[in-house]
Amino acid sequence: MDTEAYSSALKNALNEVQNICPDIKSVFLFNEEGQIIAGAENTPESVIIRAMDALDGLLEKAEIIDGVESISFEASKGRVNVSRMSDLYLVTLASEKADMNYVSTVTRVVIPAVIKLLDKVAPALLKDTPVQVEAEPEDSTFEEAEMASEELDEESEKMEHEEQAESEAKSETILPEAPVNQFIVENLGGLFVSGDTVRIDNEILLKWKELYEDRAIEEAEIETFGGKSTRCKLKPIKDSKDEGKGIIQMPEKIQAALDIRKGELVRVKPVVE
Amino acid sequence: MVKKKRGVQEVSDVAEPVALEETTVDNSLRASLEEIKKYDGVIGYIQRNTTSASIDFKDPTKIMDYALLSSLAFDAGRDFSELFDIGDVKSTLVGGKNVKMLSVIIGENKISVFMEKNADAEKVLTRLQAS
Repeated sequence: MDTEAYSSALKNALNEVQNICPDIKSVFLFNEEGQIIAGAENTPESVIIRAMDALDGLLEKAEIIDGVESISFEASKGRVNVSRMSDLYLVTLASEKADMNYVSTVTRVVIPAVIKLLDKVAPALLKDTPVQVEAEPEDSTFEEAEMASEELDEESEKMEHEEQAESEAKSETILPEAPVNQFIVENLGGLFVSGDTVRIDNEILLKWKELYEDRAIEEAEIETFGGKSTRCKLKPIKDSKDEGKGIIQMPEKIQAALDIRKGELVRVKPVVE
Repeated sequence: MVKKKRGVQEVSDVAEPVALEETTVDNSLRASLEEIKKYDGVIGYIQRNTTSASIDFKDPTKIMDYALLSSLAFDAGRDFSELFDIGDVKSTLVGGKNVKMLSVIIGENKISVFMEKNADAEKVLTRLQAS
């Protein structure tokens, strides 16, 4: 949820950047792990994934120049700029007529400012506290406000009682909300591959196991951005060279069931038994 | 036999002027690269076409890595050109923390010039495009 709020705020910022600079045809952000952070309204996810693929090798092999800070592709009908902002990469596609000084000023000022602000706000988003409703409706009188406040108090009291009764009835330890990770789909094939098993980074599996001590995590819920979901068995990626790339290795059978293909993005969360 | 001879004749008729033109471009480009190499902050360059390649670096130990990066930059440019329909990529500038790479396609030649961060990439680009 917190990630969604963060992503949504950034998406709004990117949309605003496009409103200010109509010459920016496309703009999106991704991180070093190859995860999409946010994209403007008119930038489809499939395009972002292909753009990340195009940059993948270049970013990876840029150690020789001590890492990439910026990339600029100047073409006859437009220009693509990639700017590094701490651990994020901002990609902008501008038309050939664009005033690049203006585009650069807007993107390099607005986006880092929003990221900085969100980084400050993010800890608050992460807090697991219920939302406090302040009974202060703008268009109501003092009496109405007081009544509304009383109603809210009663309601919240009722809810508290219900929650307490529910938790007492269950008398179980409350588990933390299942973390949701995003992965890029990779094909998983071979003679010994089980058709109902997906593979992800062992590091993430360990983190999940750490989060749910003494609980077995053998399955995961996979959800596509098209709304389809399925439950699969979970195993760590075998080949160490495929680790840390933010991928999920998936048999074609599961890809077909989810109506997705290699290169697409899915949300994965552990199923805690 | 007769057919074969005619074929050879046709090829040589067409190929000669092209070969001459290419040689002129190559010579001009080579001269530009030799000049660029002397610019402040220029570390070296890689120039390649379908038939030949020339590499000149002050520190030859990193040639393989530089060559790989150059190739990846051209690949990325081609991919972006297709993805965003932005036409042919004229130049690519990859800025690193200490070093930057300017990649340009001139005719059949793919050239990447590596330079220190503060070097004048614009000057290099102008010189290359004048080749």
